[in-house]
Amino acid sequence: MGEVKWEREQMLVDKILEKAPYAEGKVRRERRIEFSIPADRIRDFLMLLKENDFELMLQITTVDWPNDGELELIYQMWSVTHRTHAMVRTRIPRDLDKARMPTVKDIYPVAETYERDAHDFFGVYFEGNEKMEMPWILDDTEQGLFPHRKDFDMLTYVKKKYKLLDRFDEDKDNYVI
Amino acid sequence: MVSQNELIREARENGMDLLPLDKDTYELFFGPQHMATENFSIILKMDGHRVVKAIANPGFLHRGFEKLAEYRPWHTNIALLLRICVPEPDVPEAIYSMAVDEIIGWEVPERAQWIRTTVLEMARVSAYLFWIMGLSFKLGVYTAGQWAAAYRERLMALFEQLTGARVYHIYTIPGGVRRDIPGDKWLRQLKDTVEYIRSKLPDFDNLVFENYVAHRRLEGIGVMDKKFALAEGVTGPNLRATGVPYDVRRADPYLLYPELDFEVPVLKEGDALARALIRRFELEQDLYILDQLLEIGPPSGPYKVEDPRLKNLPRFKVPAGDAFAHVESTKGDFGAYVVSDGKHKPYRVQIRGPSIAHGVRVLEQLLVGARIADVPVILMSLDNCPPDIDR
Repeated sequence: MGEVKWEREQMLVDKILEKAPYAEGKVRRERRIEFSIPADRIRDFLMLLKENDFELMLQITTVDWPNDGELELIYQMWSVTHRTHAMVRTRIPRDLDKARMPTVKDIYPVAETYERDAHDFFGVYFEGNEKMEMPWILDDTEQGLFPHRKDFDMLTYVKKKYKLLDRFDEDKDNYVI
Repeated sequence: MVSQNELIREARENGMDLLPLDKDTYELFFGPQHMATENFSIILKMDGHRVVKAIANPGFLHRGFEKLAEYRPWHTNIALLLRICVPEPDVPEAIYSMAVDEIIGWEVPERAQWIRTTVLEMARVSAYLFWIMGLSFKLGVYTAGQWAAAYRERLMALFEQLTGARVYHIYTIPGGVRRDIPGDKWLRQLKDTVEYIRSKLPDFDNLVFENYVAHRRLEGIGVMDKKFALAEGVTGPNLRATGVPYDVRRADPYLLYPELDFEVPVLKEGDALARALIRRFELEQDLYILDQLLEIGPPSGPYKVEDPRLKNLPRFKVPAGDAFAHVESTKGDFGAYVVSDGKHKPYRVQIRGPSIAHGVRVLEQLLVGARIADVPVILMSLDNCPPDIDR
């Protein structure tokens, strides 16, 4: 069903994969394509996307997969010319000293903001982004405290920080803060 | 660099009395309580009354919506995520619901699509009126601001009839909308309101958009070009003011937009005036879209999908998968990326607020060289929505 219906998207994927043999790509649906690439080729691949008229970087999403011991980074790109959304997926180790990525702010300047966001909430360090050390949204300077990681215990943290919450019943099975 | 004496002389000529703290520059904390910054904080380094350097300092609104969303059942997240952009709360509802619909594979019924489109357009009109209010206040044209607030009140009343709430609607849900439209009387009232607001647009033109003083305040400040805007990820009216005709409603059509006739206004100057005019033109286009929707009328049929899973909402599960959905808001391209691992709660929700692109880096660069009086005007012309950044 897909092949015939989404010819334009398939052609775009083929054109990009031809120049990037290290990547895997597929069409998800109309105007949605997806690539997964190794983490060390991310700069090459984003440069290639920029040459192929993907002008806008919509965001960088980080997803934590603690069972695999990995963090997934998804660079979400939009092409104004082709009217297509491309997700570029890559995985890096979850350990704090290994969760490092090269910055892409020289290719897409807006990436600087999203990289700061990923650093603040997930602890991914982007090499070459000089704003990494600058405090961003969180004012807590405790080491290794990355609130969007799945092993961050929000309830314990909140109770430690804001004593008020002690009065709530914590034996509830389905606790919703 | 202009000399200090010249700056002070210029300031005095403009009726300001400035005493710099030291010989060269001084630091000025602008916001977050300052009402001209709308809960946003900027650290300015000033030379006289000119900005030398600006650092956006977000975090004062941060409430951790994305983290909280991972702790709540799918449906209750609607009541949380809509707080991300208060002037236009229907947009986060819609993108989250569209992403969930895509993961489940639900086709939203036609009636629900019509209602969602109408609600989104009403939200756009109301957000633009809210923006006119903000801009007028910053330009000192208080009359126009108070008019805009009063006209927006009519839409608030209609929203209240439709959803039961004035501001936080909690109306669009995965699979459709929460309840049906109240009836023909509501549709007639909406038609009257659209007519009424349209009849008042010339007043806004006279007072703000064609006003000589407003033009002097807006023209030539905060200029950005096409290449810069695209590289910085700017979307929405701010991008269209630099000459790129990118509108999500046309580029990635959703709901009923492919069937509707509307123009995407584009200007080339890229300054604050161009951005203001684009918004003024779009307000007119949105009223025109509402006209067409009312002419088509709501199709008959159910207003949400009929699915047994919707009977027990706390135990509602979404199959594993992920989806990205985005819509055109008055601030720009508003998107949501939702990941499900097949359980009762989302595994990850990330909201792509348009302001994170034009409210941090772009703002820092546009403010350099501006006068202190222009800072709120540039901020307002970019239509920054701080909770987008502080998700």
